[in-house]
Amino acid sequence: MTDRHANPDDLELYALGALEGEDRLTLKAHLKTCAECRRQLASAAQTASLVGLAVDPVAPAASVKQALMARVHAEARPAATQKTLAPVRKKRWGLRFSLGFAMATVILALATTWLWKENQRHRQEAARLGAQLEAARAEAAREGEDLRAVAEVISAPDTLTVTLQQQAGGPPGQAHVLFNARTGLVIYAGQMPPTPEGKSYQLWLVPTQGAPVSAGLVEPNQQNGTVLVRLPQGLSPKAFAVTVEPLGGRPQPTGPMVLVGALSS
Amino acid sequence: MQTTPDSTLIEQMMAGDEAALSILYDRYSAMLFGMLMRILRDKQSAEEILQDLFLQLWRSAGRFDASRGSLPTWLLVIGRNRAISRLRGKSNREVTEEEDGDYANGFVSSHNVEDEATRTELRGTLNAALNKLPSEQRQALELAYFEGMSQSEIAARTASPLGTVKSRVRTAMQSMKGMLAGY
Repeated sequence: MTDRHANPDDLELYALGALEGEDRLTLKAHLKTCAECRRQLASAAQTASLVGLAVDPVAPAASVKQALMARVHAEARPAATQKTLAPVRKKRWGLRFSLGFAMATVILALATTWLWKENQRHRQEAARLGAQLEAARAEAAREGEDLRAVAEVISAPDTLTVTLQQQAGGPPGQAHVLFNARTGLVIYAGQMPPTPEGKSYQLWLVPTQGAPVSAGLVEPNQQNGTVLVRLPQGLSPKAFAVTVEPLGGRPQPTGPMVLVGALSS
Repeated sequence: MQTTPDSTLIEQMMAGDEAALSILYDRYSAMLFGMLMRILRDKQSAEEILQDLFLQLWRSAGRFDASRGSLPTWLLVIGRNRAISRLRGKSNREVTEEEDGDYANGFVSSHNVEDEATRTELRGTLNAALNKLPSEQRQALELAYFEGMSQSEIAARTASPLGTVKSRVRTAMQSMKGMLAGY
């Protein structure tokens, strides 16, 4: 059937997610090769989505937005453009962090970002140039702030260093965290096996009192791209940990701890 | 006051502007939360999905071709999928979110629902269209959309032959499309 158009009844059901079994598999295969049926499916999906729009709106509690914005702020940037800074090496601490190397690679990242923006800018309509220039300026200012923040964390005498070790029965791995409570800045570098499908690794600051604080998602192999995270100032951690969470992370840890590093008292 | 287009706000989000996300949340959260509550009938679950949905929007802003006006549809499609998955205790729907996201991003929205007044007007039209459907057609459509039932489950629930269920759903969808055509 893959070379004949789909049964229109099936398209409507597929758009609603109600088509099942052989009919569904056949239609799915057909859609890969038939632009006309994909167009019809898009039309059906649009109609289906309007069913949801017919429901009366209900305002969610203000706390939902507050929690969302706190999570977003903790991540600081969309994942697609999350600051990924190069590995840093600091012999003084016996860790692989180096201020000079970090600064050089951050500058390289800035240059790459700038080139990308240039390319994008040429593709934009003339009317958007002004807005984009403003956005680029803001971006450059943020990049500069991050550069200064990295330098400050690495050089500050009150910066804590923590090595996170794998747990018994858990996957192999190790990570290092630099944390400065005064500024709330966290630098993370680590290496772990790939996450199970549909899961994410999430870094947590475990305070001496109260619930863990999310420091955002981390990639399995974060050695080649150290992550800079901004947490609220003044937190008093007793440990850092990495857990396995549903894709996208959770406000509080729900999955197993795979890396843990306690602070020496 | 002029409503800032979704496309502009998405560009601002891509530049890391949290205020742009805040505006989009204010614009679409009540629409989505109403739908999520209708499906889940559980405030905590609906709140979790709503928050995750906007977090995904923040992280994936670059995926959208916002000039096509598909953002509210994408939010409705992905939000509904997640709610149905939660409702039915599935970790993944058969139609994956990735695929659904591509559908949603793949068509041009013919309805500009970026301002509240337009959404309210369209909602009235949609409800009028739903109310005009024969009860068995509306029931089949709502069982599929709000309860995530498959064709065979709808057939069992309504004690109707499978072919009848298929034609009821299709006729209902076509009728709605027709009634909205002149909108």
